[in-house]
Amino acid sequence: MIAQLILTALLFGVLLYAWSEYRRSPVIGNLSFLAALAGLDFVWVPSHATRLAEWAGVGRGVDLVIYIWVMISWILLLNLHLKMRAQLELITALARTIAISNALQALKDDGRSNPPQVPSSGGDLAALQSRHREDDARS
Amino acid sequence: MSLSNNDVFVVIAAYNEEKVLAEVIAEVRGTGYQIVVVADGSTDATAAVAAQAGAIVLSHPVNLGQGAALQTGIEFALLRGAGFIVTFDADGQHRAADIGSLLGALTKHHVDFALGSRFLGTVVNMPRSRRLLLRAATWFTRATTGLKVTDSHNGLRAMTRRGASSIRLRQNRMAHASEILHQIARSGLTYIEMPVTIQYSGYSLAKGQKLSEFVTVLIDLFARRLHR
Repeated sequence: MIAQLILTALLFGVLLYAWSEYRRSPVIGNLSFLAALAGLDFVWVPSHATRLAEWAGVGRGVDLVIYIWVMISWILLLNLHLKMRAQLELITALARTIAISNALQALKDDGRSNPPQVPSSGGDLAALQSRHREDDARS
Repeated sequence: MSLSNNDVFVVIAAYNEEKVLAEVIAEVRGTGYQIVVVADGSTDATAAVAAQAGAIVLSHPVNLGQGAALQTGIEFALLRGAGFIVTFDADGQHRAADIGSLLGALTKHHVDFALGSRFLGTVVNMPRSRRLLLRAATWFTRATTGLKVTDSHNGLRAMTRRGASSIRLRQNRMAHASEILHQIARSGLTYIEMPVTIQYSGYSLAKGQKLSEFVTVLIDLFARRLHR
């Protein structure tokens, strides 16, 4: 009974995680949600796990529960990867802004010809970034 | 659409290319177009070599990848009022003479993208393994985008201002080549493939894509579809 309560608490934690992640990544949210629901079902109705395990050829229900836990771990790992990608996108945006701003400033300092057709570089850079934010909101 | 030299920006993404970059820039300068080199966190003298050769140099403070560098160069060129943008590899495998035919195709056929294809043109010294790899990548791109391209990973391409504005590369590394085609397909803008010459050298092969990187490309493309 104690093990069931501990597993239930952990799986409710996964449900909360699924809910919080759904907005950023619906695929991860849905997978986590389904895995946690299956886990709760198997913890409280072990016969379901046994029957499903027999049907799937896994053998024992407890093995199936372990496999589901492994699956949840993989989903969390995948999500960690996606979060790292999101961080990389922020770093990229920062590096890009620095590179473009420095180059525009250097050209201005050099007084090079071929001025931009845009009214002001700073304002246009901001406009470009604003467009990116709109793209993100749409995608 | 008409073009003058000041309208055309050639964007070159470069990471530790000090050995060949001066030669590449000198060849492109012969066309008279403006050259933008994005030194992508290079740890050698790439930025200095590019500046000395007469290019406008943008420097990423850290290495982000070719896709990120090209996007930076494209955004800079758009800010400078570019009418046409050409992407060109830094390792010397492209020929500057092909830039004119790509730009000519944009104006002649009224399309937004002119994509270079080595399989319509000429390939010099391409190893068999590389050919198979590129064929597989092209097959994958055709299957996933619906675009009937013959060369999905050719870095030599030209685009109009409208085309460049519709592109936003979020794949920092090599997957950007597939991503561009996905975005072209999604935007509904027009494109044409043009024959170009790719000349492999020991240097460009050493710097080029490996089989393991294609696996990374597939993972990147898959991961990108999982999150917003």
